[in-house]
Parts: sequence; structure tokens; C-alpha cells
Amino acid sequence: MIEIVLDGGSRRHVLLGGLVVGAALAGLLTALGRPAAAQAPSPEQDERILNFLLNLEYLQSAFYAEADSPGTLDGELAAFARVVGKHEQRHVERLKRLLGDGANPAPELDLEDVTSDEDAFLEAAIVLEETGASAYIGQAPNLTVEGVTAVAPLVSVEARHAAWILAIAGRNPAPAPADPAATVAGVQSAFERAGLVPPSG
Amino acid sequence: MVDFHNRLTLAQLDADGALEEALVAATGSTRTQFLRSAALGSAALLTGLSDSATASPGPRQDTAILNYALAFEYLQAGFYTEAESLGTIRAMDAERERWARTLGAHERAHVRILKDVLGRRAAARPFFDYRGITEDPTTFTRTAVAMEDLTVALLGGQAPRVANQGLRSAFFSLLTVEARHATWARRIVGVAPVAEAFDSPKTIAQVDRVIRSTRFRVSRPKSEGRGSPRFTG
Repeated sequence: MIEIVLDGGSRRHVLLGGLVVGAALAGLLTALGRPAAAQAPSPEQDERILNFLLNLEYLQSAFYAEADSPGTLDGELAAFARVVGKHEQRHVERLKRLLGDGANPAPELDLEDVTSDEDAFLEAAIVLEETGASAYIGQAPNLTVEGVTAVAPLVSVEARHAAWILAIAGRNPAPAPADPAATVAGVQSAFERAGLVPPSG
Repeated sequence: MVDFHNRLTLAQLDADGALEEALVAATGSTRTQFLRSAALGSAALLTGLSDSATASPGPRQDTAILNYALAFEYLQAGFYTEAESLGTIRAMDAERERWARTLGAHERAHVRILKDVLGRRAAARPFFDYRGITEDPTTFTRTAVAMEDLTVALLGGQAPRVANQGLRSAFFSLLTVEARHATWARRIVGVAPVAEAFDSPKTIAQVDRVIRSTRFRVSRPKSEGRGSPRFTG
């Protein structure tokens, strides 16, 4: 049983039972010969995964909403926060619609520190977008065909956001020919290290 | 300054005839001519693959999809490699040069990755003629934007059709890199780096229509004079 906390505390824990952490990354070179994910895709598993991705989108969306207070950001960084914030909000809406009654409610988050100034915002945004893209990649083998179809239009947009913020930061927007996958545990610890979610203990 | 409200999508590029504009400049072909050539035949231009011909998921369809992706990566790799060997990239400003060289290296790596995955099943490299577009920094860059966005649409459309679950992850790993390329290119040319909240996947038939309109794919090698500055005329 894997536990992921993206809600800023102990109020609500999202249980992702049965998600296979180690199976998420498919080696590109051995992809054709690789066995299917240990836990076969199913609509029930899709629901857990989409809720995990919804939590991620909640976090991204809340982060940009928090950063939108006047005076913190300007220039291209302010434009980035505005545009990307709208995208993440629409991602939240789409995942909620897909999940229907099964959708997790929005968690309460404390994102004041990571949006307090431009440098903090920039660093946190890079982690959010990079980890976001990798989280989607990591779940590709665990989703049904319908699940992959549903998230395909979102994963590339997360990567576009990542490239944009890296370019603004003066870093290489496309650092590798293939992007890494992240496990659920990897996503959790990346967010903890960046101060986006509190340590899970 | 980048204009973030200027939305440039592939559909718009097509509608505005940006690719065609570059082609007319390079080849003198008209919209009517290329539409007529686009109407010829229904098999996919790059590999003879069409969506309907490979409707049932499984290893055979996976191979066909991988080979289509490989042909597309060959198209892209050749595009950047040619611009590099012609000196077009060297003549650009520092950021554009870094961008174009990085993309070329990535597309060549994608060719190697897909060839390795396919092994003996890998289809042969197709022949291309970029019709002078690689000689001009402006048309080269604009065409690159359209090609990168088109690859995102291709891989996003094909990832769910892949039966092998590990391969789906691999497709996502390549898809996100193409998306980074597109955003980087868009920022460089001064259009919205991320125009939409959702990317729109395309079918192979739709992608092929665009490729066909470029007439980049040719049936035999275009010229012997490697390194010579003129490719058309």
C-alpha cells in the first residue's frame, strides 16, 4: 500500500493501494520485450491513478493561484504564472469530470513560502512542472487504453510548461532526448524536498 | 518581447499556409498543385501504413506504429542535420543555434532509440528533399515549429494505440521531449510558448496529409552533391 499526501497535512490521506511503484519506468531500449505492469490496468486502477494526477493538478493550480498576488512576479514570469495557472485549472476540471463522483475534493494547501518571492517561485515551478510530466509518464503503463487516451493531451502540456519555465530560468528547456518517469513515491519525495508538501514522516 | 496572446497552432500554420509559403518560395509549387498531390493515394506517405489498415491492437500494430514514428524521426533528424551541414544553424544567433543543435541531437537519438527497439523489424530510412527550407534561417525555424507540434500530435495520438504497456511509457517519454522542443521553438519565434491547455492528438492519416503537403518525402535520393549549397532549382 502506497500512501501519498498532497494535501498539506494529515486531514486526508490519499491511498493508492495496488499502484506498482517499481514497474512504472519502462526502459526505452527494452520496451518491446518488457512484461506488462505487475498490476494489470483496470477501470478501478484508472480511478486511483486519475485521482493521484488530480491531486497533482490541484497542487499546481493552487500554487499559481497563490502566486498571482500582485507585486510578486512581473514580466514573462507573471505571464507564465497566469497562462499556466489557467491550464492547470482546466486540467483539474477535466480530471474531475472524468472521475465524476469518484473525484477527490480539493485539498487545503499551504503554499505561502514557495510563492513568497521570484526565486522561490521559479524553483518550485520547475519542480512542479518537471515532476508533473514525469508523474504522467510513470503512470502510462498502469492505465487502460481509455486512461492513456484521457491523459495523453495533458502530459505534453505539462512538458511544455516545464520547457517554458526552464527557458525563463536560462536553463536548457529540453535537457535529455527522453524524459524520465516518476513513481508515486518519487513524486511525493520531490514535492517534499521542494517544500511543496509537508514531510510525510 | 514574446507576445503570449499570439496563438500559433499547427492548424493555423496550415490555414495560413506557412509551410506552403515556404514551399512556394523554395519550389514554386502552388496550393492547387500540392492539394492535388495530396489527394493522390490513401496509403500513408511515410510507411504505407494507415490507421484503418492496422486497426487491431497487438505486436504487429505496435511494430507498424513504431516504424511510422521512426520514419517521422528520420524526417526530423534529416531536417536539422541538413541545416547544420549547410551552415544555416551556425549563422543563427547563440540561442537559436543552441536550440537547433540540441533538437538535431535529440531527433538523431530518437532514431537510434526506435531502431534499437525495432531491431530487425526497423524499416529502411526514407528519402527526403527539404526543398531549400534548410537553407533559410527564417523558414527553417518556422517549419521546425510546425514539425515539432506535429510530432506532439502524432505521438499523443499513437500512445494509446500501442498495445505494449511499457512502450506506452516510452512514447510518453518521447512525446514530452517533442513538446519541449515545440515550446522552445515557439518562444524563440515569439509566439505563445504554450498555446492551449490540452494538446490535440492527430491520427496517422491526419499527420500524413500534412507531411504530404510538404513534399519532403521523395522516392529516391535527391542529389549526390552533399555539402553543395543548392538543393533545389
